[in-house]
Formats: sequence, C-alpha cells, structure tokens
Amino acid sequence: MNYLDLSIRDIHQALVEKKVTPLELTKEALKRAKENKDNCFEMILEEEALAFASTLTEPEADNLLWGIPYLAKDNFSTKGLPTTASSNILVGYKPLYDATVIAKLKEKKAVLIGKTTLDELAMGGTGTTGHLGITYNPYDPKHERMIGGSSCGSAAAMAAGIVPFALGSDTGDSVRKPASYGGVIGVKPTWGRISRYGLFPFAPSLDHVGYFTRYAEDAAVLLEALSGRDVMDSTSSVKDVDAYVAESEKELVSPRIAVLDDIVESIRDNAIRDAFLDSLKKLEEAGAMINHIRFGHDLLESIYATYIVISCAEATSNDANLDGIKFGPYYEGKTYQEVMSQARTKGFSELIKRRFVIGSFALMRENQDVLFLRAQKNRAKIVERTNQILADNDFIFVPAAPTVAPKLGATSDKLSDEYLIADNHLALGNFAGLPSITMPLGYENGLPFGVNFMGRAFEESKLLSICRTFEKITGICGDYYGKEGK
Amino acid sequence: MKEINLDVLKDAAHRLLFDMSDEEYETLLSEFAVLTKQMETIGKIEGLEDYEPMTFPFECETTYLREDEPTTPLSREEALANAGSTLDGEIKLPKVVG
Repeated sequence: MNYLDLSIRDIHQALVEKKVTPLELTKEALKRAKENKDNCFEMILEEEALAFASTLTEPEADNLLWGIPYLAKDNFSTKGLPTTASSNILVGYKPLYDATVIAKLKEKKAVLIGKTTLDELAMGGTGTTGHLGITYNPYDPKHERMIGGSSCGSAAAMAAGIVPFALGSDTGDSVRKPASYGGVIGVKPTWGRISRYGLFPFAPSLDHVGYFTRYAEDAAVLLEALSGRDVMDSTSSVKDVDAYVAESEKELVSPRIAVLDDIVESIRDNAIRDAFLDSLKKLEEAGAMINHIRFGHDLLESIYATYIVISCAEATSNDANLDGIKFGPYYEGKTYQEVMSQARTKGFSELIKRRFVIGSFALMRENQDVLFLRAQKNRAKIVERTNQILADNDFIFVPAAPTVAPKLGATSDKLSDEYLIADNHLALGNFAGLPSITMPLGYENGLPFGVNFMGRAFEESKLLSICRTFEKITGICGDYYGKEGK
Repeated sequence: MKEINLDVLKDAAHRLLFDMSDEEYETLLSEFAVLTKQMETIGKIEGLEDYEPMTFPFECETTYLREDEPTTPLSREEALANAGSTLDGEIKLPKVVG
C-alpha cells in the first residue's frame, strides 16, 4: 500500500499523524509521472514541486488538501510557468497571474507537480490533437486506444494513478467522457459554481472548470475547496457554497432517478447496456425510484450539431486575440496583418483552423439566422426539456459513453444514433449548465466504462450523495491501471 | 444558407487571418458535407420560432459595485514580457501609414 493511493481524507490522516510527509508524497507522484509513457505531460514541475513540498512541515489538521500532490490541465494560467493549451501559438507564453483555482489550491498548500496535455485549445474529444501528439489510455499499454479529451493528460494521469486529483475543463464532455474511458470520476459542477478566471476560454457559454478524482468523497472535498464567488469572473455565482463533504455523507431518501431510454437504446455495446441495466436494479434495491423517460429522439439527435455551431462560433471570436503580437511566437511580416497571419497559420493545427472556419461560416450574415441563432434557439428548447424532466426527478442517469475507449484511428458513422446521441449527449449538462458527474461502472475486456448522473443547478450536495451511494454499489473505489493488488 | 465551396472557405480562412494547404481545404470541404447533414437535425426541430436564442445557461446575478480603490496595474515590463517584438518599451509592428 502506498499513501498516494488512498482517498484524500486518508492521506490527510496519514499526513497529520506524520506517517508520511508532503515531500515523500510529492517524490512518489513525481516518480510515477516520470515513469509514465502515456504522454500525459506538457511539463513536470519537479524542481518547483519539491521546493514547495519541502516547506510543508507543520500539518494543518483542518485542511484536507494540505500537502496533496495534483496536476492541472495546461489551459489553466500559472504565474511565471509556461501555459500552452497544447498549442504552438502559445509556446513560450508565461502568464502574469494564477487562475483562481490554481490560486485557491496554492492557498490550501496542495502541491502542483505538473501541467497536463489537452486537445489543442481544449477543442476536441480524442486526446490526439495537442502539439505534443497523442495522449494514450493507460489501460492499453500497446498504445492502440485513446483516453479521450480534451482533458486527456489529466484523465490519463489519473487512470495511471499518478496523483489523487487533477484539474480539467469541460465544454461539451471534456472531463466526463475521458473519465469514462479512464475508469475515474469526472466532475463538472453547475455553470458559475467554480470561477473560470485564468482558464483559457473556448466557448464561454458552455465552458466549465472540472476535475478528476478516484474516490467519490474526494469529489466533494474538491468542490468545497474550489467553489465560490470570484469578483474576477462576473459569471461566477454569488450563491453560498455548501458543506459538500458533510452534506454528501447524508444518504438520500428514495431519490427519483430518470433514465433516458432513448439514450440507452442508442447504445449497441451489450456489455455496457447490460451493466447499466443491472446498476438500475441495484439502485432500486438501495431505495431509489427509477423512472424510464423518453427525452425525444429528434431533440437528442440535434445536440451534436447545436454544440458544434455554438462552440465553434464562440471559439472563433474568443481566439481572435491569439495573434503572436502580445504573446506567443512572433513572426516578421510587411504589414501587421501579415504578422498575425503568419502566427496564426503556423501556430494553429489543421483541426483548429477547420473549427474556426465552421464557426465563422455559422456567423456569416447570410447564415446567422439559419445556423447560429437557430442553434441557440434549439439549445433553449433542449434545456427546457431537460429541466422539465428534472422538475419531477432528482437526477438524470445514463451511460456516459456508448463504448469503452475507442481504438485510435477507428472511424464511426457520424450520422448514426450511436454517434449523434450516445456519444454526444453529455453536452446536455453544458447547454443547461447543470452539475454532472461521471462514475466508473465496470470493465469490458479490462477496459473501463462509466455512467453519468446529472442533477439540478446548484444541487451538488445531492448529486455527490448519489455518487457516494453508487460507489458503494459498484465497489469500484480508488482504482487505476496497474494498482497493486488489482 | 450561403453555398459552400472552396472559394467561400478560403475567404473565411483569410478573414480569420490564417491560411491552409489545398489538401486541408479539401478535408474541410468534405467535413462540411457531413456537417450539413448534421445541421439538418436542427432544421427539422419544429416550433423554434417560439424560443429566444439562449446565450448563457442562466442569468448571473452580478449586482455589486467595485469599491473605488486604487490598485496597482501591470508594470510596463510585465505587460511586454510575453511580446516577441518590442522597442523602447512599446510593442513594435510594421508601419500602418507612411
């Protein structure tokens, strides 16, 4: 047993009792990071982490995150440390300030041991488009399978057991889908619950700070530490922060759980579907009331297109500031337009350029009504339907993904229900801004898969409570690839 | 909707101040062929005229006023620290006029 493998509460206990020190934990995390072969890291902050951990000598009994090593996706600004968003257009950029979540964790004296890879600028769901190449799924040592994205490095590092928690960001499913492929917990709270100050924006109406843990209680610990109003982010909520750890310990009485049958039916993998249906029985045995509901096939089918139009349009506008002038590599030119064009042509990969053109096309005067505004109206209709279901139910519960981690390069029918519905429904949580958590459910041929619970806005305590119950049901708790005794 | 062809896509890319290779434009064109079919999934949703375009998940209450207290902004050196082309404490770019 290694202390790094325990829940945050148990590691904390060991730290307080001085059975282990932050420096020892940090050294172990760094060792695992350096041994890892899955291309999880933009940088490993060995020197900085060791120096900081060495200063942590007097345990803070009331601070669960004191001395806990962690990782952050490289789209969170870190003062004085390179922050690339895995894009060549930001190579060499060193922010002048910390993202609020980084600052909060610094204040809690958690130890940042590295920055993780992502799909370039967090736009992508495969973990293959960052400027350092493909990030692999630790559960397939042959490196044939993806971990998913865009928070690929954080997800893979968690699946490899390197740290107890890692920060990610989630615009469509960028924390919750890779969590399913990596067999870990992926949390996206309510929109506005955690400040986004210092997170590079992709599509601000959909962007959320999220994170990965391996224990359900840890998900509550992190939410309590990261939530709250931030004057630096005008979209952060003024609502009080609950005592998520204590509140989520309370078991819910007869929670009402809506199962969206049209999503379940779009899944063709029998092992995943059967395991999901079996988990319904176990939830019922635990006292839950299961309601089978049809969301509406056509509305579900339109999620993907709605997401692509809105997110690409927002990204096109947001990333106009990436021009190689104020930051990022500078290229000479005869005019300032040429300077910018050189930086953007050389700095963005093909996928990013394609997404920007799609966004720009949707915003063209001739197309705005029929594409962009129509997508925004459709979003309103989808959200209305989601909230209707949650008016009568505490949670929506569905498989998080239709398959285990796909093989790299595998093609799928982009017009099928499996793709349009089962592979993209998690964006519902981003459209509506609702809290949504992916939990591990099982393994198929040694590869993990998960489920997703979504709750009402700002009702994270209840959502975390059902997740803690679910963790007891599955018995999957603290797993990672290669864990001793597994 | 505007017709999608190579010229339209090239024009869009140039307005966004980047270029792509011919091969990349071809990939984009074939991506649009699939995307157009996916867009039809929105086209067939009825009654959208009754909805307002949704720009954020929900209203944010930001009703406070900041105290009128002086703060220290970035120094000139900090502001220029990440710029690749500077001269005499300013960002240097090619001449716009003259």
